[in-house]
Amino acid sequence: MIARRDLAVRLTARAPLSPTCFRLTLAAAEPLDAIPGQFGMLACGPGFDPLLRRAFSLAGVSRSGGGTEVELLVKEVGKGTRLLRTAPLGDELRLLAPLGNGFDLTPGPAPLALVAGGIGLPPVLFAATVLAARGERFDLYLGASTGAELIETERCGALAAAAGGELVTTSDDGSRGESGFVTAALERRLAAGRAYSRVLACGPNAMLAALSRLAVSRGIAAELSLEEPMGCGVGVCLGCVVELAEGTYVPACKEGPVFAAARLAERWWL
Amino acid sequence: MSAALATRVGALELANPVMAASGTFGYGLDLIEFCPPERLGGIVSKGLSPRPRIGNPTPRIVETAAGMINAIGLQNIGVEAFCRDALPQLRGRGATVAVNVFGERMEEYVAVIDRCEREAGVAAYELNVSCPNVTAGGIEFGHDAAQLERLTAMCRARTARQLWVKLSPNAPDLVGTARAAVAGGADALSLINTFRAMAIDADLRRPVLATTCGGLSGPAIKPLALRMVWEVHRALPDVPLVGIGGIESGRDAAEFLLAGASAVQVGTAIFRDPRAPLRILDELAAFCAERGVADVKELIGGLRCR
Repeated sequence: MIARRDLAVRLTARAPLSPTCFRLTLAAAEPLDAIPGQFGMLACGPGFDPLLRRAFSLAGVSRSGGGTEVELLVKEVGKGTRLLRTAPLGDELRLLAPLGNGFDLTPGPAPLALVAGGIGLPPVLFAATVLAARGERFDLYLGASTGAELIETERCGALAAAAGGELVTTSDDGSRGESGFVTAALERRLAAGRAYSRVLACGPNAMLAALSRLAVSRGIAAELSLEEPMGCGVGVCLGCVVELAEGTYVPACKEGPVFAAARLAERWWL
Repeated sequence: MSAALATRVGALELANPVMAASGTFGYGLDLIEFCPPERLGGIVSKGLSPRPRIGNPTPRIVETAAGMINAIGLQNIGVEAFCRDALPQLRGRGATVAVNVFGERMEEYVAVIDRCEREAGVAAYELNVSCPNVTAGGIEFGHDAAQLERLTAMCRARTARQLWVKLSPNAPDLVGTARAAVAGGADALSLINTFRAMAIDADLRRPVLATTCGGLSGPAIKPLALRMVWEVHRALPDVPLVGIGGIESGRDAAEFLLAGASAVQVGTAIFRDPRAPLRILDELAAFCAERGVADVKELIGGLRCR
């Protein structure tokens, strides 16, 4: 297991990606290693409101000098993320990372299907970066509610191309890419005979549920990165539990956030 | 000059007054690289029942202004797994351990204590009679003085170890329940547990939590908790108290000691900062040093009321 640290990080860059999403670059003086799918708990500001840190999947981690550059993709949804959108560059924040288990990226039969919905992209982008660097084949499916909310399409396209695969973009409103849900785009290709050894995915729960059904019906193993409201990120508050097929609740922050679809309670993906 | 930090809760000597509160520090070993349990005054385990409990459905937590509401429902690994997996390590590290005890029936509290009595390394039991998030047991004992006295006496009969009762701020008569716990044989009282509370999603017109209501913790409750510690201390000045409720800094800890607590527990702050109990201890030591307080015990009950 990679050692967790509570890092002082400096906000060094922020770039808008869509009407609601932006990219944050954080610089830490210390080295940090992480696996795609792992996350960090970021204190979004000083004071007691918001009280809790926010959980963000890491979109990229790279060594920079003796330190680390951490990339996060953020969607503004409330108080904490609003603070992150307006915080001055140079601000020092605290990031507890890396947390959780991450995707299983053990080299295996290709190709993989990487599937992201909306702001579920960060762990999928990180996985694509690692897989592309290793020269493993994958197709990347990226969907959003509207065309304007499709983010990082150029990077995703370059990574998929480098991996000898395809970037498939979809929007629910049909304004960009294929029209409809990203899971439908995947289903069309499976029906046309395209085969995948595994699916790695992150996105809204409804998308992951649809993806679970699709993967299970086709006998493809799926690993899903789940989002749950997290209090602590380290397994002590037991707020972010996920129900497993065996009937127990386990904290997504510690046993996840990546789960094999087959491990989850049927209720979860019905 | 650095202040002497040792304190005493009843017959229990603590190396310092800062403990980790039940339900916020796992079984004492989850955050060892940030907060080694042996460096704290003590740790209180997650509430333990005779058998594992799976807890409540989700959503279980929601953030509110300067606070959070939880409805975990006492999910825990059960006393057997605690004694087998966690306690030996805590003992090996020299941590001072209080076991938080929960049952749906009085006999279940006794069963948890009986199991722990077979193990070395448990300094105290903290009876959880104040969890607002379970329908059976717990709170019904914490709100009724006669039942609380009976439960405390039943537990008292099973152990010579320190016996604490964690009081509910939701009880109609706080001082009355405090007296009942003492009459039943409690050595000390810890207070307070969370305040029954709710959050509503106005867009969906639904409660946020799956259980509708939960327990509020965090800085939002600190003034209420201070008042309750002070009230119980004033009514029962000889009963040792452990203060709990929204402690985020060494100065907050000092306030609880001044109100009459002999030690404090840090809870929700740990979710914000995994090092919180140690940081608060350092801050409390600095608070004393800066004011020429030679011994932290000087603060206990030291409030000067007009």
